[in-house]
Amino acid sequence: MLLEALLASVLLGAGIVALAPNRYAGKLAAAISLVPLVGSLYLWSAFDGVANALLSGGEPAFETTIAWIDLAGYQLQWHVGLDGVSVPLVILTTILTTAAIVSAWTPIDERESQFYALVLLLEAGLLGVFAALDFFLWFVFWEVVLVPMYFLIAIWGGPRRKYAAIKFFVYTNVASLAMFIGFIALVFGLGDSVTTLGLPEITQALQEPGALGEFAGLGPAALKAAAFFAMFAGFAVKVPMVPFHTWLPDAHVEAPTPVSVLLAGVLLKMGTYALLRFNFTMLPDVAKANAEIIAIFAVVSVIYGALLALAQRDLKRIVAYSSISSMGYVLLGLIAYTVHGLGGATFQMVSHGFISGLMFMVVGVIYNQTHTRMVGDMSGLADRMPVTVGIFVAAAFGYMGLPLMSGFAAEVLIFLGAFPSTVLPGAPIFTALAMFGIVIVAGYLLLAMQRTLFGPFSLATDYELGRAPVHDVAPLVVLLACVIALGVAPDLFYGMIQDAVRPILELGGGV
Amino acid sequence: MTGAFDFAPAIALLPLAAFAVALFGGNYLPKRGALAGITALVGSLVLSIWALVTVAGGETYDADLYTFVAGQDTLSLHLGILIDPLSALMLVIVSLIALLVFVFSLGYMNDEDETGLPRYYAELSLFSFSMLAFVFADNLLMAFMFFELVGLCSYLLIGFWFREAGPSSAAKKAFLVTRFGDYFFLVGTVGIFATFGTGMFAGSESFPHMAEQALAGEHSVRTFLGLGEQAWFTVLGLLVLGGVIGKSAQFPLHTWLPDAMEGPTPVSALIHAATMVAAGVYLVARMYGFYLLSPTALGVIALVGGFTALFAASMALVKQELKQVLAYSTISQYGYMMLALGGGGYVAAVFHLTTHAIFKALLFLGAGSVIIAMHHNENMWDMGGLKDKMPVTYYAFLSGSLALAGIFPFAGFWSKDEVLYETLIHGFGGSPLLLAGYAMGLLAVAFTGFYTFRMVFLTFHGEPRTADAEDPHGVRWNVKLPLAVLGILAAVAGVINLAPVEKVTGIHLTFLHDWLDMAPDSFGTAVHHYTGDHGLMHEFAGYTAAHPLGETGTVLVGAAISLGLALAGAGLAYRLYAVPSPTEHTDKLGSLKTLLMNNYYQDEYQVWLARDVTLPLSRAADTFDQSVIDGVVNATSSVSLFAGERVRRIQTGLVTHYATLITLSLVALLVVFGYLGGWF
Repeated sequence: MLLEALLASVLLGAGIVALAPNRYAGKLAAAISLVPLVGSLYLWSAFDGVANALLSGGEPAFETTIAWIDLAGYQLQWHVGLDGVSVPLVILTTILTTAAIVSAWTPIDERESQFYALVLLLEAGLLGVFAALDFFLWFVFWEVVLVPMYFLIAIWGGPRRKYAAIKFFVYTNVASLAMFIGFIALVFGLGDSVTTLGLPEITQALQEPGALGEFAGLGPAALKAAAFFAMFAGFAVKVPMVPFHTWLPDAHVEAPTPVSVLLAGVLLKMGTYALLRFNFTMLPDVAKANAEIIAIFAVVSVIYGALLALAQRDLKRIVAYSSISSMGYVLLGLIAYTVHGLGGATFQMVSHGFISGLMFMVVGVIYNQTHTRMVGDMSGLADRMPVTVGIFVAAAFGYMGLPLMSGFAAEVLIFLGAFPSTVLPGAPIFTALAMFGIVIVAGYLLLAMQRTLFGPFSLATDYELGRAPVHDVAPLVVLLACVIALGVAPDLFYGMIQDAVRPILELGGGV
Repeated sequence: MTGAFDFAPAIALLPLAAFAVALFGGNYLPKRGALAGITALVGSLVLSIWALVTVAGGETYDADLYTFVAGQDTLSLHLGILIDPLSALMLVIVSLIALLVFVFSLGYMNDEDETGLPRYYAELSLFSFSMLAFVFADNLLMAFMFFELVGLCSYLLIGFWFREAGPSSAAKKAFLVTRFGDYFFLVGTVGIFATFGTGMFAGSESFPHMAEQALAGEHSVRTFLGLGEQAWFTVLGLLVLGGVIGKSAQFPLHTWLPDAMEGPTPVSALIHAATMVAAGVYLVARMYGFYLLSPTALGVIALVGGFTALFAASMALVKQELKQVLAYSTISQYGYMMLALGGGGYVAAVFHLTTHAIFKALLFLGAGSVIIAMHHNENMWDMGGLKDKMPVTYYAFLSGSLALAGIFPFAGFWSKDEVLYETLIHGFGGSPLLLAGYAMGLLAVAFTGFYTFRMVFLTFHGEPRTADAEDPHGVRWNVKLPLAVLGILAAVAGVINLAPVEKVTGIHLTFLHDWLDMAPDSFGTAVHHYTGDHGLMHEFAGYTAAHPLGETGTVLVGAAISLGLALAGAGLAYRLYAVPSPTEHTDKLGSLKTLLMNNYYQDEYQVWLARDVTLPLSRAADTFDQSVIDGVVNATSSVSLFAGERVRRIQTGLVTHYATLITLSLVALLVVFGYLGGWF
């Protein structure tokens, strides 16, 4: 019941914060968010799950299964549990939420209690997505996430917040629809083979030869392929993958900093997490048959995303586009179908969550002081904000994949996994092409740093630069510590991640 | 029993501790953290020497100490320590030079009242940590990791004076250019792990050994891209070489190094002598057993090295600033080491790496002393006559210059001579390509003699040409001590490997050769394994030695030619510049002068690639993204969801419309699917 208690504490907390006076909402929310944070760390230390939650032989930890609703022959269940893939993402969510709440103290100065309540509601949705093992339940959480995110952008966002929020909402919802159609088609194709919408049951049924029947005039092979691409398109929007990425920069630029932190840090990982769970675990044969196409998506996302980042002048847009690039690596790791490929991809989700969250946050701290994010508007900030700039430099090098920080471990594992892949024809070429991203990322971050942080001091907005308050800097330090800890000791998470992804490699499924 | 090797991790970890102490506590410490660094490096030096002595006693060390990533049914990544004669020697060199640089910094930074000193000493400590850990790395991935950290530290230190525009630009360039090289290095590293399942440098499970066995047909390894083993190993070797060319500033990735002079001078000494730039060449020496399997890779190394030696020396001829001359000389000297490695002169390369570390650190620190005296003016044309006012600096600098120019009997003479000799005999032995490298290296000797003594005469001789030179600022013991230590070493360090004397007299004098040959057979890193009669060089690279004039004759004639050229260059410099009031003679070079002054326009084309190709490309991508891709998205939403007037109303309107729409669609879909799926 630990997971339920965790979710309940967040939801209850959201309710309490919503009713609290604005003055105390921020501190109250931070204190409440410590409960799931500590709880998730306990889950990590007490984790005893075995293998992959969706596959036979898998025993998720903290599992609960309760029959819920009977719907025309299908039983919908309250079914939650964690395996080695979801635990790190749960911890990422709880740490980033607390950090984001504290970082919101400075910039959010109206309707605070609503803001923090929505952030906690968002956290509940995210935790639910990573914990749910029943499709219906999972889908509810998946959609629940969109609502607070929409309002967080639309109410507390920048000048074009309405446009950005609607674009985000509509785009990702249309994507959800595509995904939903794809998945439900599979369920109906399975016919009587499944009696619940449990993800493990459906996944395992799909492995059974002959279980998948015909649906809507499509034979089993065609149905699988159609479902795969419908879900792939749906999740590709969320990741986001080029060419489905254009909602992301708009959303990031308009969203207030703490929301960007969660958007880049956790929401994008919903997409890659779902890709791993649905496309790459349920339908590995389709993925393998289309490995080259998927790898092209990956490489284009990495290189094109990085090139776009190079063209930006707004620090937030730079980080936003570079997220697209980083998520491309995840896709490359997934399609490799090796331990380090799948494991590295999962590790990259966590690592990038911390690093991009840190990057957005540090840009936010600078914005709090300078009231600008444009590269040309400021220079020589290192002179006035030495600590913040020091963390900026560290975070940027983390983004560039500096060894002993988590980004390096993630990327190098992906590369080590992708290069020798036997699933992907021409894997060394695809890997080498994607790896060129490490040069471009250094280019745009170093260029931005040179122009804004170094050189003689100047500031176009004429604000008096004071010291950033401690509660602005403290979350940065915490996230940086996470990045370094995971970079020095990836096995903190990587052992359980490998446990969970290895069974995926044993799946048959004729190509 | 505990021995030196139990403390081996501390060699690197001590400076790491000093990094933390200086960063967080430097402001509260005397000397702003310098003492923490000095203490740590004294410890590192003592432990390194202890390790060296232990290795001399016939023991070596190769152990995995930390499992970075424990792979399940797949490869694991480790951090470990390999101490063999090569790494033990390099550890001593790095910790010695770093220590002297710290001491010198007391004079250069503290006494000059620089700000930001805790940061300076923290970064310098981190630099030492990274390099020392790189040197004793026992596998390629660990080497790559610390190779990158070395790059980070040089970025931070080159950009130390961040308030000015120049240093931060130079720092960015240094990191970017070397990162470009490191990209190939990382691809090569990943390829080596994929091919051999390991990146170990030494032992029967190491990748050079497995590659050797594969070529010998003892077992096969998985190759990629349809290449045969030989070809694939060449590809891997060349990929790793990309990182070497970047870090060791070889053509065409040398452009970052002259700009890196923007950093504080003690940092330049460290970068050029013992850390950053040395890392590249050291890496080739570290995995020499792998390169020897590929004649193509060796040929590329030799030609890149020979060409760089000449190319960089020619640019040094016309430079006006003291540190610029030294910068180009560094590039040129590392070219010699590459030439030696490509030419089968493993011992010669390590020898030159050693002597160069000493005399280049000396020259930079000497230059630093002059720069203090000149109130941070670096233009040699503003100097002159400093000889009498700064005797310690002068004689130390002279010792370093004689070594750099390769004048008998200073250290550089012996090592450079050996480099050229090895290349020559292997060139005559059936690898004519090496003769081209030799010719370039030989011509560069004359250039080196000239630019070195042009620098010495302009700086120290003649009449003072400015008021600062008339009345230089004094320097203290903390500057003079490192200069004296290095000055003596630069004069005598050649004794560690007097190969020509041995060949002529028959007395055994090649101690460095013996030293490097002490690695145990099981490591596969000993000299006889590389270049011995049955070594890899003969078996796989196909190099053989030939002496056109007999062994003694070739040695003597070779040495005489190179010494003669060095003296000729130095003599020309003497004629032109050792006069009371020297004038510029560069105009006599005509248009060549412009070409040299502009460094063959190497910077221009690289800047053009970055600024006029990549940036516009990215802007074009951005425009495409905004207009086409996002345009399609917006158009789709307009066309498919609504039409005409309604769009405007909805887009400015409420999300509840959308939410309702989505929910209704979902319900409709459920109904449709439910109907198809037989729910009703």
